[in-house]
Amino acid sequence: MSVLDQNAIDLSLPRISEASVADYIALLKPRVMSLVVFTAAVGFFLAPGHVHPVLAITSILCIAVGGGASGALNMALEGDIDALMTRTANRPIPRGRVLPGEAMAFGLTLAFFSVMTLGILVNWLAGALLAFTIFFYVVIYTMWLKRWTAQNIVIGGAAGALPPVVAWAAATGSLSVEPILLFLIIFFWTPPHFWALALFRNDDYARAGVPMLPVVAGPDATRLQILLYTVVLVAIAAAPWPMGYFDAVYGVASLILGAGMLWLAVDIYRYRTGRAALRATRRMFAFSILYLFALFAILLLEVVAKAIAPLIW
Amino acid sequence: MDTKPKPDGIVLTEAQKKRRRERSLAIAWALGILVVLFFAVTMVKGPGVLVRPM
Repeated sequence: MSVLDQNAIDLSLPRISEASVADYIALLKPRVMSLVVFTAAVGFFLAPGHVHPVLAITSILCIAVGGGASGALNMALEGDIDALMTRTANRPIPRGRVLPGEAMAFGLTLAFFSVMTLGILVNWLAGALLAFTIFFYVVIYTMWLKRWTAQNIVIGGAAGALPPVVAWAAATGSLSVEPILLFLIIFFWTPPHFWALALFRNDDYARAGVPMLPVVAGPDATRLQILLYTVVLVAIAAAPWPMGYFDAVYGVASLILGAGMLWLAVDIYRYRTGRAALRATRRMFAFSILYLFALFAILLLEVVAKAIAPLIW
Repeated sequence: MDTKPKPDGIVLTEAQKKRRRERSLAIAWALGILVVLFFAVTMVKGPGVLVRPM
C-alpha cells in the first residue's frame, strides 16, 4: 500500500492543477542539482585557457538545467516506487501535486532547451555530452538498470560523474585526461555513498521492490563491497598527484580525507548489528558527501590561488 | 437576443488562479532569461556566434 494513498488523485474528475512553482522546483532535485553545479564548475575552471564569464555562466546554467531535467524525468518515471518509500513519499508526484505526464513534459522541455542552448551558444561536443548524460540517467539508469540489477547505481553512477566532463568540453571544445580523472573519482565514490544509504534505508527499497545490493545480496555482502570500492576510490582519488595532473596540496588532502573514508568503511564492515552498525552507515553517508565536496573544493581553490597569485606577488 | 443560460464549465478557485498565475510568471521569467542569455552571448561572440566548433 502506498505511503500516501490518501492523496491519490480521482482521475474521473476534470483536474485543475494546483501545483506551485515550488513543486516544479522540487522536481528538479535541487540538492542533487547543487552537487552537479559544483562538480561542473570545478571541471570548467580546471580547464586550460580563458573563457568569457558569460559563456562560463551559460555553460554551467545549461548543465544545471540539464541535471534538473534528468531529475524531473526520473520522478515522472518513478512515481509508483517513490510513493512506497518514506524518503521519497513527499515528492510532488506521490503527493498528487503534479501528474507524471506533467513532470515528463516539464523534464523533456528543459532537457531540449538545455542541450540546444549549450550546443548553439557554446559548442556541440558539450551539447552532445549533456544529451548523453540525460539519456544515460533517464533511460539506462532509471528505466532499465534501477529495477533490474543490484549493479544499478554502479553503472548508473556514470551519469552523475559526467557533469565535470561536460563542463570541461564546454570550456575547451575537447576532452583530456583531467576530466576523465574527475569522472573516475565521482564514479567510484557513488557505490559506497549510495550503498551506505541503502543499508539504513533497506526496508524502503525492499518495500518498493528496488533491487539495491543490501536487498538482493544482503547487508554483509554490501559491507564488503563498500570497503572494496572505498579502497579503489581512495587510490583513484590520490593517483592524479603522482601522475602530475593535480598538485601536492590536493594529493595530501585526498590521502587525509581518504583515510577518513577508509576508517568509516572499516567501521561499516566491523559493526554489523545494533546502533553501532546504524551509526556507522549514517556517518559514512554523511562523510562521503563532505569527502567529495572537499576534494573538488581543493581543486577549485588551487585554480583560484594560481589565478590570483600573479596579481599579489 | 440569446436567453439561454451559459454553462458554468470549469470555474477555477482562487487558489487555482493564484497558482496558475505564479506558474505563468515563472515561465515568463525563464523565457526572459533565455532571451537575455542569447543576447549576451551574441554580444560577447560578435560575428563569431555563427562559428560553432564540434
